[in-house]
Amino acid sequence: MNAEEAKKRVMASITEITDGEVEPTEEMNLIGKDARLDSMKLVELCLSLEDQAGDLGFEFDWTSEAAMSRSRSLFRTVSSLAEEFHAQAQAQA
Amino acid sequence: MIIVTGASRGLGRAVAERLIFSGREVLSLSRTSEGAPGDSVTCDVSDYEAVKAVAQSLRKEKREIEGLVNAAGIASMNLAVTTPPSMTQKLIQTNLAGTIHCCQLFAPLMIRKKAGSIINFSTIAVTLGLKGESIYAASKAGVEGFSRAFAREMADFDIRVNCVAPGPIKTDLLKGVSDEQIDAIVAQQILPKLFLPDDIADLCEFLLGPQSQSLSGQVLKVGGA
Repeated sequence: MNAEEAKKRVMASITEITDGEVEPTEEMNLIGKDARLDSMKLVELCLSLEDQAGDLGFEFDWTSEAAMSRSRSLFRTVSSLAEEFHAQAQAQA
Repeated sequence: MIIVTGASRGLGRAVAERLIFSGREVLSLSRTSEGAPGDSVTCDVSDYEAVKAVAQSLRKEKREIEGLVNAAGIASMNLAVTTPPSMTQKLIQTNLAGTIHCCQLFAPLMIRKKAGSIINFSTIAVTLGLKGESIYAASKAGVEGFSRAFAREMADFDIRVNCVAPGPIKTDLLKGVSDEQIDAIVAQQILPKLFLPDDIADLCEFLLGPQSQSLSGQVLKVGGA
């Protein structure tokens, strides 16, 4: 999985969990006042990515201290989450 | 499957045994597997990474979790001014952080199913403000506060979170507490009687079952206070 595929997976997951109601963009905020997903959907997004990671053969850990320190918050935007997803896949390859 | 922490002895063991007797599948978590009924895994809940390893393993095995009973805990009956900092740290880390670790790491297994019941253990000492239990009560007051807020966070996923707050119950945890001290505490309960581990198991069965579907974010004080 390359970085572009990781981004596509995150975006597809957002579309799926919101039943198409949210059209994600790379810079869409995932947390904060401009966030387009509520906290429930954010958890569902994490679980979806965790499941996909399992299918791809790696563990996606969205609570790790390392992930938080690398990017302040991996949930800032769709891009930052995709970057972290990709980075963890690469680290465990 | 229902996960029961602190299942090798005391109230955790009584709850795990009851659930197994009632035909439920139980995974017992405890620091030592000796005495833990049913399938058991050695796990110190105060260690985040250890709990995480158990959660990851359950997810990989696609085990379905219906409930979590956080009964793991330690007690230290001592005046605050004579309690060493290491004991304060241990009480907070096991009773409060251990409960939080299990909730945050096992809840996602229930979120996938959008169903589940979580029971955290507090103590009647929180309400009664018992002398010699200040730090223990502080750790459990944290559990109550956490549980109320966590119940709201989990409500969207149809997962209920409640606390059971026992008074003195005849278990190893009361070793070193005199009969006079126990009687004095029991006398402060609305129902001034010494309850048994089986009474706690009754309550847990109720909270895990559909009869309690209207309850979340509650602290059930055993004996009343």
